[in-house]
Amino acid sequence: MRKSFVGNNIKHSEFDALTRITVEMSKYLYPYIREILKSREDFKENSVVWNDFNGRFIELIKERFNMDSMKVKKLLNQAENDEIIIKSLLTLSFCISNQGYQKLKNFLHYF
Amino acid sequence: MQNKLSFHQSSVSLEIIGLPDYSNNENKDQISIISQWKLTIIDKPLIEGKVEHLGPIMNAFYIYSNLLIKNEIPLFESKLIDIKADNLHIHNIVLKSSKPNVKPLILKIGNSLLSDTINCFDQLNESPKVRIKKTDIPNNTPQKLGFGSNKKVKFLNFFMPPFIAICSLILFSSSFIYFANPFEKIEKKELINP
Repeated sequence: MRKSFVGNNIKHSEFDALTRITVEMSKYLYPYIREILKSREDFKENSVVWNDFNGRFIELIKERFNMDSMKVKKLLNQAENDEIIIKSLLTLSFCISNQGYQKLKNFLHYF
Repeated sequence: MQNKLSFHQSSVSLEIIGLPDYSNNENKDQISIISQWKLTIIDKPLIEGKVEHLGPIMNAFYIYSNLLIKNEIPLFESKLIDIKADNLHIHNIVLKSSKPNVKPLILKIGNSLLSDTINCFDQLNESPKVRIKKTDIPNNTPQKLGFGSNKKVKFLNFFMPPFIAICSLILFSSSFIYFANPFEKIEKKELINP
């Protein structure tokens, strides 16, 4: 999905390391993740945070992802990407405990 | 004198009240015998109950959150608690009383409150000061996408190309049987050297 000419398979140790980094970052970013989720819940009254996040998310995808891929096109489609973004944010917010690493690893296996 | 421990996460707090088990030589500040628990969610009615209700309610939240993430139907039903999704953002919780003639308590919570609640339960599960029957976080790695499959892919990548090459060589060379006739050669040799 990324803009890359080299198709490298991720190693097990690299996958572990990335999972640990993601969990540690989620711990620090939990207040922001929560605010984004809350903003989407009452979208009519508090849409600023969600719109900002969604705008930046789409910007980053256009910058770094392969736009010809169908999966990436789905991510950019605002009608379809809501569910993907919310489930990803929820996954991160459920994994901020000390055992978050194990939880995130289990969740990732299902994606 | 009872001990009281609180776990907080943004808009949700969980309070555990109980006593240490002195027969097990536990510290004064430990809680092993839970007498009461209270789950406070801001702007929602207070949820409280006995120790036997805490485990099933925690399990219900964990199972429901797993279903939600894994793209399965987000619905949990039991004698004590029902949780189902109204939509992508709102979750409907029905808490049923064990006492007769008491109406069930209905709560609607959003994703933010759901994650706060899960995190409060996680804190309780990980707390060394409270000894309860720990709720198991599902550890089972699914078979369909285990990382072991990577090794299989590597094994196949290594052996498949030479195997296909050998097979194609055999097929290609066997087609020459139709062009080369050994009896014709013998006849020609006989004609040259009678």
